Amino acid sequence: MKGLLIKDIKLMLNQKKFFITIGFIALMLVSVVKDTSFIISYITFIGALFTLSTINYDEYDNGNAFLFSLPVTRSGYVAEKYGFGLMMGGSCWLFSLLIAIVSGEVRKTAAAWDILLTAIEIFPVILILLAMMIPFQLKFGGEKGRIAAIAVVGAVFVVCIIVGKAADIMEIDLIDLLNRMPKLGWEAIVGLTMAAAAALLLLSASISVAIMKKKEF
Amino acid sequence: MLRIEHLVKKYEDFTLDCSMEVRPGCVTGLIGQNGAGKSTTFKAILGLIHRDGGKVEAFGKDVEEFTVKDKQKLGVVLSDSGFSGYLNIHDIIPVLANLYGTFDKDFFMKQVQRFGLPTDKKIKEFSTGMKAKLKVLAAISHRAKLLILDEPTVGLDVVARDELLELLRDFMEAEEDRSILISSHISGDLESLCDDLYMVHEGKIILHEDTDVLLSDYALLKVNSSQYEKLDKQYILRHKKESFGYTCLTNQKRYYLENYPQTVIEKGSVDEVIAMMIRGEA
Repeated sequence: MKGLLIKDIKLMLNQKKFFITIGFIALMLVSVVKDTSFIISYITFIGALFTLSTINYDEYDNGNAFLFSLPVTRSGYVAEKYGFGLMMGGSCWLFSLLIAIVSGEVRKTAAAWDILLTAIEIFPVILILLAMMIPFQLKFGGEKGRIAAIAVVGAVFVVCIIVGKAADIMEIDLIDLLNRMPKLGWEAIVGLTMAAAAALLLLSASISVAIMKKKEF
Repeated sequence: MLRIEHLVKKYEDFTLDCSMEVRPGCVTGLIGQNGAGKSTTFKAILGLIHRDGGKVEAFGKDVEEFTVKDKQKLGVVLSDSGFSGYLNIHDIIPVLANLYGTFDKDFFMKQVQRFGLPTDKKIKEFSTGMKAKLKVLAAISHRAKLLILDEPTVGLDVVARDELLELLRDFMEAEEDRSILISSHISGDLESLCDDLYMVHEGKIILHEDTDVLLSDYALLKVNSSQYEKLDKQYILRHKKESFGYTCLTNQKRYYLENYPQTVIEKGSVDEVIAMMIRGEA
């Protein structure tokens, strides 16, 4: 797995333009946008999803056939992709948190503690997105994978709208229902979201292993 | 070293049913036309495709149960696939070193220099020949026990091809029990390197012979129609109608040399044997 990680890190380091662009966008966001949560979620999202690009690189020019003739198992490959996603997401999260804190302090727009709390709330959401997108990328690859992932996010919205409409028709007040639910503290909500993200990542990884085991190169 | 028993892979318009063996210390060649089943066989050996039947064992173990450790004993070249074109040679050294505990960096770098491969140029910018050289070097630099080489000399000029074949001979001489399974459309490569040859056609093995026997005992008989009528056909493998009469392929050259001294008998090259086995009638 270490060999694969090195390969992906080397691939990433060769994409200098990508990182210059990210750095430039980060600087722009820090100097223009006041909303630190947007800066953190944007940069973390881009970083974590670089793992999808590495899947594309692997597939390019039938590269997977050679890759899987190396001492690499299909489940090891999947583990590496999730590991790389977490590593990239984690480092971009930390980087964006730091620049958001510096920006907040310099521009006096937000307190460091508030920014940290926001960043902690964002992290599991990024993990959930990662968990949703990797299996699609592995199953459909390239452009099709991205379209499929977007379609799923769209489908989730459609389901939410349908539930809302159905509740309207049935005269159920969803907001009131949520308000009447037992009150949870911030820690509990974040803890639950983290647990949900971890569970989703595990489920997503097992789906990805099943997808890879079926694949032929 | 490698044993394939009735490996079956079915596609919509093609079925592979192949049995073959690569013995320890031997170089075995797999020859056949494009689409005959060579690459499918290689892919099944490497577990890249799921087989529909049969057994593929390497080092006494089913290849579908191969662990990372088992795969480290293989060195692989695939004709249509290689390292990501976005990497350069400097990038792949630590990758190989971490994938193979026995990766010999000094040997690899020495060969890279010998073949004049640029270390900081992206592989996608390499010429076809440079890519072919890199693939072979990566396959032989970690003391593999078995090399699986699908068209390793494709795109190489004569000099580079000879150099690579020399590397493969050195690889075989370094340890006694090493083996190679190789396919190539350049029969000269196979004649000079292989101990035995398998010929695959339309998904089936139609010939298996030691290379020495093939080159010494196989021959083409050029006969006119009346000579053909009188010919003892018990050692004729294939015959083909020609403008002058018939061309016949035999694996008993001496028999016809002794009994039909008037007949034109030409030494069979691998290319001619392939052509006759495929185009001739049984």
